[in-house]
Amino acid sequence: MARIVTIDPVTRIEGHLRIDVEIEGDKVVDAWSSGTMFRGFEMLLRDKHPWDAQQVTERICGVCPLVHGTCASYNLDDAMGVDLPDNARVIRNLCLGANFIQSHVLHFWHLSALDYVDIAAVVQYAGTDPGLQALKGKIAYLVESRDAYPFLPRYESDDYLGDPELVTTLVSHYVQALEIRKKAQEMLTIYYGRAPVFVGTIPGGVTAHPTVGNIAAFRSVLDEIRFWIDNVYVPDIVTIAKVPEFAPFLTAGDSGGNYLAYGGFDEDSSGSEKFLPPGYILGNDVAKVMDFDEQKIAEYVKHSWYTDDCGERQPQDGKTEPDVHKKGAYSFIKAPRYDDNPMEVGPMARMLVMAGLELAGKQPERLMALIKSLGLEETINTLVGEGKFGILPRHAMRALECKLIADQMDVWLDQLEPGAKIWDKKGKEIPGESQGQGLVEGPRGALGHWITIKGKKIDNYQCVVPTTWNASPRDKNDNRGPIETSLIGLPVPDPENPVNVVRCVRSFDPCLACAIHVIHPEHNGVKEFRVV
Amino acid sequence: MEKKGVTRRQFIKYAGATAALLGLSEAVIPDIARALEELVTTGKPPVIWLQGQNCSGCSVSFLNTNYPDAAEVLLDKLSVRYQPTVMAAAGDVATGVIEETVAEMEGKYVLVVEGPIPTAEGGEYCTFGLEKETKDLDGNQVPKDKPIYDWMKEVVPGAAAVIALGNCASFGGIPGANAEVTGTTPVMDIVAEIDKKKPVINISGCPIHPDWFVGTVLDYLINQRVPDLDRYKRPKAYFGKLIHENCERRAAFDAGLFLEDWNDANPDMKLCLFKMGCKGPVTYADCPIRRWNSARNWCVGANAPCHGCAEPTFYKDLSPLYEPLPDINFLGLTPGVDTLGWIASGVTAAGIGAHYLYKQLGKREDNGESEGGED
Repeated sequence: MARIVTIDPVTRIEGHLRIDVEIEGDKVVDAWSSGTMFRGFEMLLRDKHPWDAQQVTERICGVCPLVHGTCASYNLDDAMGVDLPDNARVIRNLCLGANFIQSHVLHFWHLSALDYVDIAAVVQYAGTDPGLQALKGKIAYLVESRDAYPFLPRYESDDYLGDPELVTTLVSHYVQALEIRKKAQEMLTIYYGRAPVFVGTIPGGVTAHPTVGNIAAFRSVLDEIRFWIDNVYVPDIVTIAKVPEFAPFLTAGDSGGNYLAYGGFDEDSSGSEKFLPPGYILGNDVAKVMDFDEQKIAEYVKHSWYTDDCGERQPQDGKTEPDVHKKGAYSFIKAPRYDDNPMEVGPMARMLVMAGLELAGKQPERLMALIKSLGLEETINTLVGEGKFGILPRHAMRALECKLIADQMDVWLDQLEPGAKIWDKKGKEIPGESQGQGLVEGPRGALGHWITIKGKKIDNYQCVVPTTWNASPRDKNDNRGPIETSLIGLPVPDPENPVNVVRCVRSFDPCLACAIHVIHPEHNGVKEFRVV
Repeated sequence: MEKKGVTRRQFIKYAGATAALLGLSEAVIPDIARALEELVTTGKPPVIWLQGQNCSGCSVSFLNTNYPDAAEVLLDKLSVRYQPTVMAAAGDVATGVIEETVAEMEGKYVLVVEGPIPTAEGGEYCTFGLEKETKDLDGNQVPKDKPIYDWMKEVVPGAAAVIALGNCASFGGIPGANAEVTGTTPVMDIVAEIDKKKPVINISGCPIHPDWFVGTVLDYLINQRVPDLDRYKRPKAYFGKLIHENCERRAAFDAGLFLEDWNDANPDMKLCLFKMGCKGPVTYADCPIRRWNSARNWCVGANAPCHGCAEPTFYKDLSPLYEPLPDINFLGLTPGVDTLGWIASGVTAAGIGAHYLYKQLGKREDNGESEGGED
């Protein structure tokens, strides 16, 4: 008999998320997700000075304010016809890169690792490493005094890693990771002032000049972080990916095989050359990466609480008028589709696009070279052969991307020119009327901001965010969104402890703070719902 | 004590760091060490950390804490029972911890609330966990989301004290700019509705500085009392000084050297950012001295204006963020921006009194005995 299990709140993500799964036998047969909090960004931005958008949209999400601030800056640059100086472009890349590192490290260790590691096994540690012994002492005391919050209680499961030596090492890396993500934020404050929620990028460029001194300071922190990524983050991912008990998660949690990347990190002032290349893949055909065309994005609302008139529109022309009594609707998230296909966005999408381009000889080998050097080539080939990329590849791709970006940041540092321009004055010349668009890649995936300026003020501001793609509901053809699809077929042996469901949802790194915009029928005002 | 994983030597180390954080002299280190030791012996103080209309920015900023660091706070100092961003549990296992703590630790737990509480439409704009009553709009039996407003009614009565975390939890902040729709309400107003006598501490900032939060919590636990607060319930230790008065670029302001083109921002010149919209003259916080992210930098240090994120007037009443503050009335004079520098230097004794500027901005009623901060 089918049974509905509700998980609310889904913790260790950004924001308020509720997941409902229908379980038959011991497998998930259907899934729904809903965001349960909203604030109202579009409404409060209306009629404001366009420059405020950069500071206000940063507050959409406290885990990656930097991505929204960067996207808003490109959006406003576009609306004001800015000619972005190279120094500004490179500093934006460096700081966005630092935020990728802090977000990816936070995600794997602090938001995900507790789903795989039995922290109580630390008590059995029998090794002699003094640091690990000290950690054992602390954890043992907490467990004995029955006060191991916030690490216990948890969903119980038979397959948590229980080897005391391995677990104690991994838990010590959890503690190290706290320091590393803190240092990644310190690094970006060299140019951006403070973090999270920073001040250094503005329409037209950036505020702080590169100097010989601050370049050296940045590099010294970066070197330390790169050492840790190479020697802890990446090897630990490889270790976990090779645990026999977790082998099913190599393919379980596949989102349907469609991947989309807008492309990120401009390598020239025109923005045509990007470090993370744009492109899309259909049906897990990694060898065939196709060119991304933003005109093929459309949003559907058949199963969303909006009037039918809101459907089949491109974001630039987006309309959002809710109808909370609409039959068949179950989400405040619209269903964005690319050429009518649901698409996964994020590190897995970007890395598969990159791998596909490299395999086709259209890009120099960077990712594939890394994969070979880690001895993962065979695993990847097997997954390509099976046509499925599940929960563990999603984590692994995030780690590989983290390393590629961190290494490239060292190259970008060399491109800074002390004394050269950092800002284009056109950024401060607000046009009477204009439109802008900013498309970037954030840690969680493809992000777009759109602005319409009228009378030198914001007339309309729209954000279409990564989690909207990943957590979208069914579309006009009743095709499920990527997270929904990924949950189907997952084993849930004990409905009281649906650990596999949260493992899968968290592998997408969902961010509920990301926003959609709603006209409320009773207040007739523009609102923003926080959605998965 | 050593078998509990913490040595006396470590207590002395923690105590030294704590004294520095709280701005106390080294003479009190033994007292603090004893207090911290007692905390461990008697069980760590329980904390319930709820998230309202938040963005998790204050949770992330908390992770940047240094002395003590986040691992020490989570493992050694506090029993953080419910914290959605870091806790292992999810779903009813997670919310069950709140219910248990409320039932078993009455009067002992500290309630931290990150983000304000929306009250419109029965509080439906922010929910987590499930209500016992489970019917949807059409009367069907379904699991129904539970508003944080309802959680507050259950959790506040047994709390020893309530800490509102961040500008929005304290004053409404960014979501408060849309309060007419969602009914965004500062935590202190919700608490007053439930229990007028319940102590509330506002840790402002968008986001909080980790020291402001961790320092206040340790201060409260060690001294067992609410610290000195200003009229907005912010600890004076951190929100008692005007940014403008401690700014490293104050000399440029007094000399009338203003930044007008970011390309001119010669790092050796340290030009004043007033014309680029700096809200330092109306913002009480110790950012210029404490600085951010392990004291590596702060907003003005990156050649960017202060946006006033620690103030009750943020964001709505401080917008536009990058335009100069409106002309300010100094002792009957209303100088333009160009003459502001020398006028201000002439009245340094009064500084730019915040009361002048609050009057100028005219947005907030004075409802306490003392002025904001200690000007």
